Amino acid sequence: MFIKLATKSLINRKGSVLLTLLAMTVSIFVLLGVEHIRHQAKESFANTVSGVDLIVGARTGNLNLLLYSVFRIGSPTNNISWESYEAIAADRNVEWTIPISLGDSHKGYRVMGTTQDYFEYFSYGQQHKLTFESGAPFQSVYDAVLGYEVAKKLDYQLGDELTLAHGIASTSFSRHDDRPFKVVGILAPTGTPVDQTVHVSLQGIEAIHVGWQQGVKLPGRTLTAEQAAQLELTPKSITAFMVGLKSRIVTFRVQSQINKYPHEPLLAILPGVALSELWQMMGLLENTLRLISVLVLVAALLGMSAMLLASIRERDHEIQLLRTVGAPPMFLFLLIELEALIISFLSIVLSTSTLYLCLITLEELLIAQFGLHIKTSILSENSVLLVAIIVGATFVAAAIPSLSAYRKASAV
Amino acid sequence: MDINLRDVKFAYPDAPEKTVLDIDQWSVSEAERVFVQGASGGGKSTLLNLLSGMISSTQGEISVLGERLDKMNRRQRDQFRANHIGYVFQQFNLIPYLDALDNILLASHFSKLKNGVALREEGKTLLTTLNISPSDWNKPTRSLSIGQQQRVAIARALINKPELLIADEPTSSLDQHNRDNFMSILMSLIDEHNITLVLVSHDASLSTHFNRVEVLNDINQMEVNRCSSSSPRKV
Repeated sequence: MFIKLATKSLINRKGSVLLTLLAMTVSIFVLLGVEHIRHQAKESFANTVSGVDLIVGARTGNLNLLLYSVFRIGSPTNNISWESYEAIAADRNVEWTIPISLGDSHKGYRVMGTTQDYFEYFSYGQQHKLTFESGAPFQSVYDAVLGYEVAKKLDYQLGDELTLAHGIASTSFSRHDDRPFKVVGILAPTGTPVDQTVHVSLQGIEAIHVGWQQGVKLPGRTLTAEQAAQLELTPKSITAFMVGLKSRIVTFRVQSQINKYPHEPLLAILPGVALSELWQMMGLLENTLRLISVLVLVAALLGMSAMLLASIRERDHEIQLLRTVGAPPMFLFLLIELEALIISFLSIVLSTSTLYLCLITLEELLIAQFGLHIKTSILSENSVLLVAIIVGATFVAAAIPSLSAYRKASAV
Repeated sequence: MDINLRDVKFAYPDAPEKTVLDIDQWSVSEAERVFVQGASGGGKSTLLNLLSGMISSTQGEISVLGERLDKMNRRQRDQFRANHIGYVFQQFNLIPYLDALDNILLASHFSKLKNGVALREEGKTLLTTLNISPSDWNKPTRSLSIGQQQRVAIARALINKPELLIADEPTSSLDQHNRDNFMSILMSLIDEHNITLVLVSHDASLSTHFNRVEVLNDINQMEVNRCSSSSPRKV
């Protein structure tokens, strides 16, 4: 009867209730959406690399090195020499290294030159190794392994051929079209930038640049693909490399050794530290977004409170009547609270389902445009807590009209 | 005695020096039908609110159905009212957006009798007795005529099987025809269930239905001091 009374009373004032419901829905949508994307983005970033103790590149900012080596965002400032790489890789504390060579692209997807160690040692998320959806790591010079998204978006199968473009723009004019690569492997989805990467061997990167100087093809100096493959293809330089150490204890010592490397200015960073630096930088933006969404919710709650308070003024007779049939003033208090909670509950249901629909629709876009992998499942500890807070805040905001009803009920 | 007031005084808390009701002694016996005639402003609502326990007296003894209302706290009075007293107002007797049946069931919600299905049946029986056709049972009561609304109000007041029914100008918003109709149904139900009735109205023509007629000004000493009084009559 209690719930029926509250529901019918709300239906009776459907105009103002509906508007309040919409305001609440929008605000909860914003709050949950911001929180979800924030949370997921953080997770997505944090999951991008794991098990890598150090990342080494040319001397630049910590973040810059992290961004271009792991996230394929931005451009490397400088390369490091192959000799330096070999010297550090030979250190007795180093267990493995993954060299990375960037700078080419295929239809907007970045191409990364590396070695087979990449498939063996690189891990993401909770120490997941890369696995193959089909095929195997590259063996020969013109083999390519595609990230899951690349293969899916461009519809490549094993055995397909593709040509790389010089530079990272999707409309590059300088193409390495004389030396096509063959797809030999497609990686399983990882939810990291790996999915958007074309992997080739370092030798492959060298081979397509034979006969190039200063980033342009020199006419008359090009070799055929076969001739190029026969050459000594040891790279002269690479963009960066990842380091796995035998023991974590020596991380800082090795880092400082690399940073003081006498023959070339190098920078070694700890991915975790650089990531948290990234978050610190994003922290202000994040908190601003959060604050705005909280304020929007507060505004909606106050609006609801005002709507209920105005309704109480029209409900004098109802209150009097309920008192006459024996309803204690507390009943009136709870009745108004219940009305508020019903509105809040409906708004939560509406906004979560809208958010869910939006995420499903935007999932592809977010991956394609920002490389952001957002899980569509909104249900998390965080969101449950948020919903609980919203319900609590509703109760508090509705206490104003509820108390007014209580006082009115006590007076008759 | 169903109602017994002794030395009752009431003043509103915000004007404690101004006594609005002052009753030396007033009582109603079981199954008596009492008509109290009085215009508004004569302490009418105050008297009825005291009897139903909506408000408590500033001083004095109020016993209703053998219970001392002045000794109860508000919660006990609310509970007592829900269980034992039916109440009919001049208007606004029903929640406008609930249907007739739900209005009746709402009244039973606060009383001690809460046996859903049987209660529903009883509500339907009452509505039938009160000449409300079944097609009107599930309409929001705001769409019923005033005459129908007042009759549903009787059903609402009687659903908890009260021993005492208090009616405050129940016919004042009705026309002649509806008024007679209302009074005859009310009286037959009162007889049938052996309920004590206290009805207050300014309309002296209603007094024909009653075996005891009182004038509010005679009961309320405060009014005696202010206005000229007529002597109590027995019909």
